[in-house]
Amino acid sequence: MPKKTDVDKPKHIGASLKILLKSIRKYRWFVVLAVVLTVASAILGLFIPKLLGDMTTIAVNSYPDLDWSALGAKAILVIALFVGSAALNYGQAYILAVVSAKYTKDLRESVIDKISRLPIAYFDKHQYGDTLSRMANDVDVLTTSLSQEIADISLSLTTLVGVMIIMLTISVPLSLISFVVVPISVVVVGRIMRFAQKYFHEQQSTLGVLNSKIEEDYSGQIVIKSNSYEDDALEDFDKTNERLTVVTRKAQIFSSLSFPVTHIFTNLGFVAVCALGGVFVIEGKINIGQIQAFVQYVSRFNRPITEIASTTSTIQALLAASERIFEFLNEPEEEPDPEPAKTLEKVQGEVEFHDVCFSYIEGRPIIRNFSVKVKPGMKVAIVGPTGAGKTTLINLLMRFYEPTSGYITIDGVPIREMKRADVRKLFGMVLQDTWLFSGTVEENLRYGDQSASLDDIRRAAKASNVDHIIEALPKGYRSEISEDSDNISAGEKQLVTIARAMVESPPMMILDEATSNVDTRTEQLIQDSFEKLTHGRTSFVIAHRLSTIRNSDLILVMRDGNIVEQGNHEELLKLGGFYAELYNSQFAES
Amino acid sequence: MFKLFKFLKPYFWQVVILVLATVLQVYTTLRLPALMADIINNGIVPGDTGYIWMTGLRMIGLALVSAAGSLVSSIFAARVGANFARDIRRAVFMKVIDFNILDVKDFSTASLLTRTTNDVNQVQAVTIMMLSMLIRAPLFCIISIVMAVQTAPDMSWIILVGAVAILGSVVLIMSLVIPKFKIFQTMIDKITLLTRENLTGLRVIRAFNNEKLEKKKFMRTNDELTKLLIFIDKILELQNPLINIIFNGTTLLCSWIGISLLTKDFAYLGNMTAFAQYVTHVMISFLMMSMLFVMLPRANVSAQRINEVLAKANKIKWHTKTQGMPEKQPSVEFRDVDFAYPGAAEKVLDNISFRAEAGQTTAFIGSTGSGKSTLINLVPRFYEASAGEILVNGLAVEDYAKEDLIKRIGFVPQRGMLFAGTVKSNIKFGAPGATDEQVRQAAEIAQAKNFIEKMPKQYSSHIAQGGTNVSGGQKQRLSIARALCKEPDIYIFDDSFSALDMKTDKKLREALKPITRSAVVLIVAQRVSTIKDADQIVVLNNGKIVGKGKHLELITKCKVYQEIVKSQLSDKEYLAELKLAERSSHA
Repeated sequence: MPKKTDVDKPKHIGASLKILLKSIRKYRWFVVLAVVLTVASAILGLFIPKLLGDMTTIAVNSYPDLDWSALGAKAILVIALFVGSAALNYGQAYILAVVSAKYTKDLRESVIDKISRLPIAYFDKHQYGDTLSRMANDVDVLTTSLSQEIADISLSLTTLVGVMIIMLTISVPLSLISFVVVPISVVVVGRIMRFAQKYFHEQQSTLGVLNSKIEEDYSGQIVIKSNSYEDDALEDFDKTNERLTVVTRKAQIFSSLSFPVTHIFTNLGFVAVCALGGVFVIEGKINIGQIQAFVQYVSRFNRPITEIASTTSTIQALLAASERIFEFLNEPEEEPDPEPAKTLEKVQGEVEFHDVCFSYIEGRPIIRNFSVKVKPGMKVAIVGPTGAGKTTLINLLMRFYEPTSGYITIDGVPIREMKRADVRKLFGMVLQDTWLFSGTVEENLRYGDQSASLDDIRRAAKASNVDHIIEALPKGYRSEISEDSDNISAGEKQLVTIARAMVESPPMMILDEATSNVDTRTEQLIQDSFEKLTHGRTSFVIAHRLSTIRNSDLILVMRDGNIVEQGNHEELLKLGGFYAELYNSQFAES
Repeated sequence: MFKLFKFLKPYFWQVVILVLATVLQVYTTLRLPALMADIINNGIVPGDTGYIWMTGLRMIGLALVSAAGSLVSSIFAARVGANFARDIRRAVFMKVIDFNILDVKDFSTASLLTRTTNDVNQVQAVTIMMLSMLIRAPLFCIISIVMAVQTAPDMSWIILVGAVAILGSVVLIMSLVIPKFKIFQTMIDKITLLTRENLTGLRVIRAFNNEKLEKKKFMRTNDELTKLLIFIDKILELQNPLINIIFNGTTLLCSWIGISLLTKDFAYLGNMTAFAQYVTHVMISFLMMSMLFVMLPRANVSAQRINEVLAKANKIKWHTKTQGMPEKQPSVEFRDVDFAYPGAAEKVLDNISFRAEAGQTTAFIGSTGSGKSTLINLVPRFYEASAGEILVNGLAVEDYAKEDLIKRIGFVPQRGMLFAGTVKSNIKFGAPGATDEQVRQAAEIAQAKNFIEKMPKQYSSHIAQGGTNVSGGQKQRLSIARALCKEPDIYIFDDSFSALDMKTDKKLREALKPITRSAVVLIVAQRVSTIKDADQIVVLNNGKIVGKGKHLELITKCKVYQEIVKSQLSDKEYLAELKLAERSSHA
């Protein structure tokens, strides 16, 4: 479980920053342009207080006959500066908005891409809620704060440096006061922020845990209700909810501490400047317009520091989110397809398992030394008690998992030397768990073959007895369905998946207990269509139904990960072994 | 958004402290420019160094008080905000757990999940901002105005100009953007849905080599979302430059007017500087408020989505105490029961009547859509019948207190669903008081004992979320063990045996017999073999009962049943069954 380490392990800011920067490389010129615009905009803005101070000085010096033409010239310059500065500022904001939106898009895309490249084993071990939370919350946190931070940091730094220079030109001793105060406040605030970072990280990961919990409870809601488990579920939820609250509180408090702390230092500097500046004016070292401008610069000098301080807290949250995203994106992927990969010219459909061993957990073998040769066009039924390794065989055949040792060949070619996609293309699959995506019935049926015409789809739907059910829906083939939707029943969803496999029309078929949800009356018809579908095609059926088994060319009887018997129905019955025992338990009178 | 503020009620006093601390902070902060004006007017201009230092010290004192106020208000804002979010999250969670099945389907699990987490987070972020800014900003604004007017009454109209300009620009921009936020949120939902589908449909997607297609679909929505986001941002980003222009314009105006008001002793210089600072504060507070308004629409959409959940009244009302005395002897009886989905014209169940006695197994069979699953969902009141009466142990289900009814029913759903925890915690799910021995027994009857004892830690073995680390059949058997462990009066198996192989199915039914001798058993099944020994078989077709009786009776009398049996047996076996039936009817 990655969660525990997430919370406890101190995170590597440098490393995650590096990865983050690499991921925005594509946009670096836009970012640079945005930064340049920000800097230009900030510099223009910097001269405004000085010019305003100049106006005061002009006024004081020319009093009582105010030099309105000189004042007017300055005023027009001020207006030009702040309008120009605002225009540049918008340019920067525009660029960053576009870049950040596109970057968000990229990230989401990489997550989806990653999902398709991770081994199935990853998802059998990790909870969906966790991945979802990375996709939704973390991407959101990362991208919204990133563009904000780029603008803020460049603006703050420019202002800081610019203000420093201007302050120095006004009065070196007054500037030095501010320059002493500032670093102290930065150090203090930095310390506080380190705590905030820790809690922000914890906040994100606790949110992930809570997400998983809620997802589980919501999808298992019926079980909770039918066991009066509501109170316990709530109690359990409360625990995580409370933990999240505590961590959120701490993160918030620590990050908001920076404001009052900076404020104290700001005011200290401010008072010192006023006092000392006052003395300097009395001594005639500077004039009153200059001190007026200087005070304005002091407040401008402090603002970027406050900003940088608050920036650090956002950056913590940002880095925490980015760490979680890139942690996911850096998970080891499926072994790449061999290059060059072997392909099959004309598929015969001969499948052979050679001494295959497999275990999900090291040291706990599920399948041991499994060998079988399936001739082209054979209909193979895999039977056996639950947990005998039937589903695992399919996982290996489809290359969802790879054998620990031994290998599988199709027409003599080891499937490991082929592309995964090419192997999977050879099989049509109807799984025990129906899975339909949200979309129209037609789109769902076209899932295996995008080029299928509506006629093809109708034909397949008719063959799998789902045509009339679909036509009965309000919009027929254009009706929206989804995994959650209740406009068609579980059994009907199953029929749709069967029709989906029929549309695909692959050279070989895998049926995983598919008929168990289909209602009994239409089963005969489905079996007929299966018969049609499997005719001349090698097919593997994990079957519970005798009618399916009886029509098979080869029955593999599995027990504890081994084929204990193989043959056809009659042969196996004659044998009087495990199969006969299984068979008799089905229809034997008690 | 404001509807949710009722959740702030418990924190009233904390909010009061927060407000007081904020007032202190704002007041002290704003005293500083006035003191500075004093320094210029009474210190610098007359050249009084002592006065300068004295006032300087007072300023430092004020700064410290202001920091303390700010600290206290920040702490309380964080506390109240986080607790407020916690309470809402809890309320939403409670509500969803209490939802009836139709409500969950209405919203979809994915959407409920976002509402409980993301939406609450949005609301939390805005609330914390509100608590710090929405209180601070108006205070700053009002006190600044008062002090500004005191400092330089002749210039006070400038404040009005600045404030109106800022307000105008904010309103303009918001009115352009707010309508887009709602669309934005629905698209975020869609992205979540698509991601979820990519996760749950992993195997199917790969089996069909459709990773590219899925990506294309995702990218389409992703593109649309991005375009919308860019549109919104383009407008929103106008705000800052506009405000900067107003800001600087106002400051220039202050200087210009200030200069024109200059008097001989230059006494107005200090006031002018202080005034400019107050005006800046006023505008900063408007800015803070406008920032809030940027977040508010998004949070408001979130708040609405939360409210939708909270406002959904559960139509199924329960008594807190059971009305009347249920009989000791378990039984289930349906009297002329109809069921139709709310708003639907067609009945899913039509005039259903039957009685199931203790020690009897009543099985329901029929084609897909015949209503058999709906029927048994009526017993624990997952749905509410539209007409007729359902009696459990002689008492109408509506008369029960929830716990009293649920504890009498062991319900095994069609899909085995498990929860993160251990094997034991899953079996004890409905019967927390069960002993280890009872757990073991339940597992044994459910045919789960063998695989459990082969697991590394046996009954303490870890079960992953959703039970992903056990197979479908194992999940189903653990679900059955979970129901058995409750030792209920009534067992309901909603097609629960279909994920089991024939042999396990058979063994399980054998093992169930002694346990269910004094209980009512209701089974929905697909396989004839599962139910042929049932004491009563109810054959459903299009929501109506078309046959009721034992296997051998129905096989001769009920046409629908005959078809079902025919589809599952070979001709030879079917004929043998028929012969058996004839023999028994003659006897």
